[in-house]
Amino acid sequence: MRTVNTQEIAQLYEFTKAHFVEFYDLQTELVDHLANTIESIWETKPQFTFEQARDASFKKFGVFGFMEVVEQRQKVMQKRYLKFLLKELQVWFSLPKLLVTSVLFIAFYLAFSSVIAKHFSIVFYALLIVFGIYKGSILRKQYRLRQKQSHKKWLLEEYIFKQTGVIVLFLITQQYTVRYFLDASFNSVYANMGMALLFTFLYLIVYVAFELLPNKAEALLQQTYPEFSL
Amino acid sequence: MPKKFMYIWFMANSKLYKGSLVTIILRLLNENDKMYGYEITQKVKKITHGELQITEGALYPALHKLEAEGLLEVEVQKVDNRLRKYYKLTKKGSTETVTKLEELQKYIAMMQNLVKPKWSLES
Repeated sequence: MRTVNTQEIAQLYEFTKAHFVEFYDLQTELVDHLANTIESIWETKPQFTFEQARDASFKKFGVFGFMEVVEQRQKVMQKRYLKFLLKELQVWFSLPKLLVTSVLFIAFYLAFSSVIAKHFSIVFYALLIVFGIYKGSILRKQYRLRQKQSHKKWLLEEYIFKQTGVIVLFLITQQYTVRYFLDASFNSVYANMGMALLFTFLYLIVYVAFELLPNKAEALLQQTYPEFSL
Repeated sequence: MPKKFMYIWFMANSKLYKGSLVTIILRLLNENDKMYGYEITQKVKKITHGELQITEGALYPALHKLEAEGLLEVEVQKVDNRLRKYYKLTKKGSTETVTKLEELQKYIAMMQNLVKPKWSLES
């Protein structure tokens, strides 16, 4: 019985790429599926060329091709990234790191309760954005380098190294909203506490997303993709 | 279940089929240690004598969702000249299989009563 050879396997990887499957884990799974279907087609129709059998097996995915599979995978990986982010954040709300979080919160509260609260708020927010832009560009460079070395794309890796851009964009677009609330809150103790809590959260999220998760990228990718180290 | 009823169940009503897909996958993995996507489609085809064909476009999203929910774990092995991704039930997945099968059996019994009620003279 004819089987799909190594050269044809490489062609199937290119075929999935041409049909908008960018990420290696999904490509691998679909390539194996297509190869199995092609081999079963050859059992009954040995006269079929590789291309004919490949197209026939692709038809089985329906009119939308791989689109549904890709979309669902993106949803799953977004959730997984969020899960990793929340898990890391949780650590900062349990001992011993809760002490650091408390110190950060008290510092913000004291700053927002001072007479120059408005200046503090501008400086704190600007620092966050500047750090985000700086660190984001470093992470994008690292991502490009990783791509050059491995020639393989992993969706979770893209989220870890490129999601930071979305956070920075969010911070920049929301600066007026935050400024509005800051202006309104400087007269009340509870409102100042609320703003201190918000800034503590923002600083922790940025630290986890821009620093901790990228540092743990290898371990997280190995945990998510068994084929990562193969 | 009579063959004709199964055909109506799975082929004519895609909503019912989609709802049962997860249970079918879990059941198969409960009986086999580990399986890969193509193997699942072929096994279902064989068991149902070709009456039910799981579409690839529905199978992989379902497998990935179950994996994300922690019901399945994955293993990758090199088979011949390619990599193959196997799915296995986790402990949570085994428990969920029992629950899902019970739910499906209750549903089938209820539907059978509705479609073919047992008439009785007792009020």
